[in-house]
Amino acid sequence: MTDLNIFQQLIYYFSHNGMYVLSQFSRHFLISIYGVLFAAIVGIPLGILISRHSKLSTTVIGIANVIQTVPSLAMLSIIMLGLGLGVNTVIATVFLYALLPIIKNTYSGMESVDASILDSGKGMGMTRFQLLYMVELPLSMSVIMAGIRNALVLAIGITAIGTFVGAGGLGDIIIRGTNATNGGAIILAGALPTALMAIISDLVLGWLQNRLDPAYKRAKTSK
Amino acid sequence: MKKIVRLFKAALLLLVSTLVLSGCGFPGLNSSANDTVRIAAQNTTEQQIMAYMLSDLIQHDTNLKTTLINNLGSGSVSFQAVKNGNADISAIRYSGTDLTTIFNQEAIKNPKVATRKVREIYRDKYHMTYFPSYGFADTYAFMVTGKLARQAHLNTVSDLKKLAPNMTVGADQIWINRKGDGYDGFIRSYGFQFQKVYPMQIGLVYSAVQSGKMNAVLGYSTDGRIKSYDLKVLKDNKHFFPPYDASPLATNKILKKHPELKNVFLKLKGQISLSTMQELNAEVDNQLIEPQVVAHRFLVQHHYFDGKGDQ
Repeated sequence: MTDLNIFQQLIYYFSHNGMYVLSQFSRHFLISIYGVLFAAIVGIPLGILISRHSKLSTTVIGIANVIQTVPSLAMLSIIMLGLGLGVNTVIATVFLYALLPIIKNTYSGMESVDASILDSGKGMGMTRFQLLYMVELPLSMSVIMAGIRNALVLAIGITAIGTFVGAGGLGDIIIRGTNATNGGAIILAGALPTALMAIISDLVLGWLQNRLDPAYKRAKTSK
Repeated sequence: MKKIVRLFKAALLLLVSTLVLSGCGFPGLNSSANDTVRIAAQNTTEQQIMAYMLSDLIQHDTNLKTTLINNLGSGSVSFQAVKNGNADISAIRYSGTDLTTIFNQEAIKNPKVATRKVREIYRDKYHMTYFPSYGFADTYAFMVTGKLARQAHLNTVSDLKKLAPNMTVGADQIWINRKGDGYDGFIRSYGFQFQKVYPMQIGLVYSAVQSGKMNAVLGYSTDGRIKSYDLKVLKDNKHFFPPYDASPLATNKILKKHPELKNVFLKLKGQISLSTMQELNAEVDNQLIEPQVVAHRFLVQHHYFDGKGDQ
């Protein structure tokens, strides 16, 4: 093994443990996705709610801000006290961190909708639900998507330290690399896919965000 | 005002439904579904190989799913995980370690007596089953480079006495602080101490002694790097380190719920000798192969998937 350089070692590692890396990759991705998904389920309605009742907005965003300032390893340990070891703890941690970007972006997306458009909607006799569903949400969708994109990239990073509570994922490979004798290649084998996952999901969601942008749609229909 | 109440109700409903959903386990993660067995493994190579071996066999022989609680820091952490219901199985428990560090009892020098005692305590106090050993025992061992051993004629730990005042030694941080069979006990039993003992991550001690950063280290007798680095294991001539028979542990709760698990543990009874374990460890530590892959290859090579041990 010692006669190979680190990149040859890396290739050797992938050729022998490819399936294992793949399974940890999908596990890592699923943990991040679940956390963000729950955060979206809770965060988007909450964001809409606080845009309607602006008195609540400072409190809710303040709380989310406070959550964000707790270091992730500390958060993981605090939640571990309640939920114990394992994957649920990591999903709960990811959920809490993903809340702020999603709530904040939903809120600012809803706020940025022009009051005159809302007025004309009302003038057409739309109900409140129709206004939300047919006017406000489509107009703020790309901003909300930007929040989800932020949250997912954040989540992938947090999931990597989930290995400390036994959740698995690519962090497992990184930690094993630090324990092994010539672990350089193993550390890379865990770190590169993690970085790649973050970059690719950022690109894909960025593309989606552009597609959802009302300006993009207008440009397309006017052609 | 009514509207706010209604919105709050809606938000509450969402929150409750998420919590309920998360209680059911997440698809693809085998998190907390009813037919999942959770196996706790520590952060050592050996633990992870055996955990994956158990996991593979359980998935093949029964209809259960498995998930690993991996990378736990020490024997007591993995025991706590099983005790608190975060895990159902602990992949390897070393009888000697459990006796002194978890039950806080005096070390027992006779391996058979120690194992019997540990099994009794697990059964009566914790309602867990301590299965028969995999066939290898792991113990702490002092090791030096082969070169130093030949130069200074070192064969036993007592031979270190004349060199000890000038020696730096790397050892597991858990060992240094523990009572009974820890460093204090070692000084009392052997009658000498080293110039300095550095607490180290156990996986790093072998390369530390090989590269000359430490004069001697305390490592595990099963590690594959002993062979590949040409290290000399010094004989424990005062029988200070208690025997650490390696066996799996499972809660009686999970065994009652899934009685078929018992056969899986018994299949591996006595199947892995010390030299086999050293080889498997070496594949992981030197050959860049993941514990899961090593475990799977072993089971395939020894025909566990085509009927071995099935009645």
